[in-house]
Amino acid sequence: MIEKIEDLAERIYETFKDYGVKKKEIAERLRLLILEFKVPENEAMNTVTNYLVREYKIPRERLRAPLTKIADLKSKQWVSVKAKVVTLWEPSSPAIAQTGIIADESGSVRFIIWTKSEKPEVKEGSSYIFRNVVTDEFAGNLRVIITRTSDIEEINEEIAVKVDPKSKATSFVGALVAVHQNSGLVQRCSECGRIAKGGNCPVHGKVNWYDDLRLRGVIDDGETTYEIIADSKVLKELIDMDLEKAKDLAQKSLDRGAVLAELKKKLLGRYLVVEGSADLRFFRVSRAEFLKPEVASEIDKILEEIK
Amino acid sequence: MNFKREVARRVFAKELNNATYTIKIAGEKNPIYVLTPLGLRCNRVFVIGAMIEKYEVRPESGIWKIRVADPTGSLVGYVSNFQPEALESLLDIEPPVVVAITAKVKVFEGSSRKLVSLRPEMINLADFYARDYWIVETAKSTIKRIKDLETEATEDAKLAKKIYNPNLEDYKAAVREAITKLKEEYEAFEEFEEEEEDLDLEFEEEEFDLKDLV
Ligand SMILES: [Zn+2]
Repeated sequence: MIEKIEDLAERIYETFKDYGVKKKEIAERLRLLILEFKVPENEAMNTVTNYLVREYKIPRERLRAPLTKIADLKSKQWVSVKAKVVTLWEPSSPAIAQTGIIADESGSVRFIIWTKSEKPEVKEGSSYIFRNVVTDEFAGNLRVIITRTSDIEEINEEIAVKVDPKSKATSFVGALVAVHQNSGLVQRCSECGRIAKGGNCPVHGKVNWYDDLRLRGVIDDGETTYEIIADSKVLKELIDMDLEKAKDLAQKSLDRGAVLAELKKKLLGRYLVVEGSADLRFFRVSRAEFLKPEVASEIDKILEEIK
Repeated sequence: MNFKREVARRVFAKELNNATYTIKIAGEKNPIYVLTPLGLRCNRVFVIGAMIEKYEVRPESGIWKIRVADPTGSLVGYVSNFQPEALESLLDIEPPVVVAITAKVKVFEGSSRKLVSLRPEMINLADFYARDYWIVETAKSTIKRIKDLETEATEDAKLAKKIYNPNLEDYKAAVREAITKLKEEYEAFEEFEEEEEDLDLEFEEEEFDLKDLV
């Protein structure tokens, strides 16, 4: 119980330490309430928090964002999280400054730092307190969003992390119901890597470009649609097409569009098992394979249900 | 971004063909939905079945009519210049053959009754394994709708019951029949599995059966 109280005190302290609160004082008050007066923990936490807010003149909005363990996060909460950045991904949109996974000892969660929030960059492997952040749910997964009103403070502290494999990668089965036209052999801006159609980058205008192979499309399981992006590594494993082969095909047919046609022919309407991770708009596929259906085992189950 | 892509629903021909009721939520950009007798609100479907017919409605019209069969019945689709991607691939496809189709669903007023048809956005060749998986997937979602209708679990289930008052035993029988056919096929398949020649023969027979349907 003493340890538990220390832990609760730590949480309150981390949330309000900017205001000069003292960990020892917090722990003593908690101990008094919980051990002597047998007050339930959450009541004790509230009581101490209210005391601190009055005593140290802490703005009310800080109250809405208590330091919370990642495992305890729910959607649509204003919270603060003390966590380590374990993975950074390349953002899919200029609106996102950084995205990836943060973790603490209770679990892991995706995060997004909006470009508009104008926050300093976080680094992979470093620990931070993300204050006043908001949570939401996207494609069935919780995310932590860092907005303009959030604060990121780097801390010099090693956090033992528990990375939930589910937050890192999810997997689902569905049919590829559409392949978008901006798939296949595409041109990318040498400056920023954005798609530069006809050698024109939407940001840098007429630029030097390089070839890339990618798939943009829609996977649909009958209940949900996923806008997906798969790179040449994924396509190599799935249909044995890589950038070199794509270039060859385009050259032989004298048509870059031949690559898109080939992707459509091999993939449209096919059931795929995909693994990857969702960010703002896209599901980024890290691995995909054709579904090998196990129909026989399902048949009896279905007949049982409608006998 | 408010635009949200419509889900491609899984539904058997029997259920979709019996749909007559459409739902249009006010607003120019809002899609029209078809409400099926089992309470599925859909605007787009994904179908894997046997394309058993394909012909140009009138010579030089550029409008192609196709018919795609699943174990419960068949659906009619029209492909024209308005669906360039589907049209391009359709020209290379000759029935009978198994295809995967993503399509918009339309209901129009026929001379005697309302008719459901598909406007394919994508057509591609598929195989028997995928078709079988589609049948299983579609059977599962149909059973879920039957159960929802029995318990009036959703608003659309209530609405469908009020409008159609469907004979649920009929739909259960259709699912049972589709799955039983599949079961027989798989049992037969297991017997043949070890000898490749027999396997090839079975595929030829299956193709032959389809030709008979045309
Ligand atoms: Zn650029």
